[in-house]
Amino acid sequence: MLEVTGLSAGYQGNDVVHNVALRVDKGEAVMIIGSNGSGKTTLFQTMCGLLSPSSGKVLFEGDDITGIPAERIARLGMRFVSAARHLFPRMTVQEHLLLGAYPNRPDPETMSIVLDLFPRLAERRRQRAGTMSGGEQQMLAVGRALMSKPRLLVLDEPSTGLAPLLAKAAYEALAVLRERGLTVLITEQQVPLAMAFCDRGYVLENGFIRLEGTTEQLAANPAVRSAYLGVT
Amino acid sequence: MIANILDGIVLGLQFGLLATGLTLIYGLGGVLNLGYGQIAVVSAITVALAMDAGMPVLPAVGLGLLVGGLLGLFLDQTILRPVYRLRGEGRVLLSLLLTLGVSFIVDGFLNWRFPLKALSLHIGGGAVEILGVLMRRGSLVASAITLVTFAGLFVFFRSTSLGRAIRSVIEDEDGARLIGIDPKQMLRLILILSGVLAALVAVTRSMVAPVDTKSGLSITVFALIVTVVGGLGNVVGALLAGIILGIINVIAAKLIGSYISLIILLGAAAVTILIRPAGLLGVKE
Repeated sequence: MLEVTGLSAGYQGNDVVHNVALRVDKGEAVMIIGSNGSGKTTLFQTMCGLLSPSSGKVLFEGDDITGIPAERIARLGMRFVSAARHLFPRMTVQEHLLLGAYPNRPDPETMSIVLDLFPRLAERRRQRAGTMSGGEQQMLAVGRALMSKPRLLVLDEPSTGLAPLLAKAAYEALAVLRERGLTVLITEQQVPLAMAFCDRGYVLENGFIRLEGTTEQLAANPAVRSAYLGVT
Repeated sequence: MIANILDGIVLGLQFGLLATGLTLIYGLGGVLNLGYGQIAVVSAITVALAMDAGMPVLPAVGLGLLVGGLLGLFLDQTILRPVYRLRGEGRVLLSLLLTLGVSFIVDGFLNWRFPLKALSLHIGGGAVEILGVLMRRGSLVASAITLVTFAGLFVFFRSTSLGRAIRSVIEDEDGARLIGIDPKQMLRLILILSGVLAALVAVTRSMVAPVDTKSGLSITVFALIVTVVGGLGNVVGALLAGIILGIINVIAAKLIGSYISLIILLGAAAVTILIRPAGLLGVKE
């Protein structure tokens, strides 16, 4: 579904990620793990089109989408939920969800699925996003992305800024979506959470992919265990 | 005093609509259009020339609004193109310089070709009494048109998906892009809308006082002052600031003299910036 080859990107000519190759197949949940500053967010921004790569290729469902602007990528059926969330502070929950479907007419069925998944949003439909808690904002960012009925959802550190219980709840919601057939790519710093959820993963260090494998393989790797799982 | 306040509201509604066109472009694209007043004047002169040529009032006004919209689109497609390549402060400054240049060219052309042309639309019928004050029918028609336009704008921005998409770009441009909204497309729409609004203000203004070829700069200056006071990118703020400044303007002109009212307006804008840097209804970044 998504295939990235030889991707390098960064800011003002200084590459932060180098020669990244990764693949996400239909129906999979894949994680990119790495510590703070490893290049996860740069990689994410390049894939979603907010940043142009200096070299490499991104294919989505066989189409070359390298360097295409974010607004066009979003309309292809791949949605990105940024760690910065990028909500519209003075707009209501309801308005965010309606806009999520733009330019199409919001589908009532999708709306009820999203509100079932996040009952908090249903309670707060008229509240402005800027006045909500971090956890609620995260739900809204995911809900807004889901309104477009994406085939691939890419999440940048969905647990960022969330209390442990809320982070767990966020992953439970993602698990429900997976059962409905959604393909997911996640970057995550809180590795145990992502491990329990994903099928496969990549380890990003200093902008390079160092390791890849199934979650079981990664969990058994001594380097991963000591660096990301706190096991010595 | 009631008479002054009513006059102030009539003027203030026009100030508000004037500022709306300017503030939306700034809020959406960080572009400051100093040729705004000239769009209004060119539209007004178009209406006047069309009527001279024998066109009835309504089609002539329609033509004026069309010309306003097209001028907005023309700016978007031509001199604003290099502006869009810049971001932040550079974008504001370059847009300011280029549109100022356009305003000089347009002013020069108008003074050369149509030095004495002016638009004044006479609304027939006698004065109407409101709260014990006799109001000119032209003022009332102008205010009614302005209020209906504001109502239309509110409905558009609140309740249509295109209106919401435009607001989302003002709120968070990257956020809008991540859900498939093209900021450039929205900016183009807003430039067309602001051109139509400038033309509409010129037409309604001409029901109260003549709009001549030298009105451009003062229209832009009033729009800028109201925009600053109301908060950049905020339609409700523009309306509120417009009414407040309209009342201040009329009362200052009455008590002290019309030569001083512009200075008082500038003072009001300066005080607003000192107390609330983001404007009356602006939100801190």
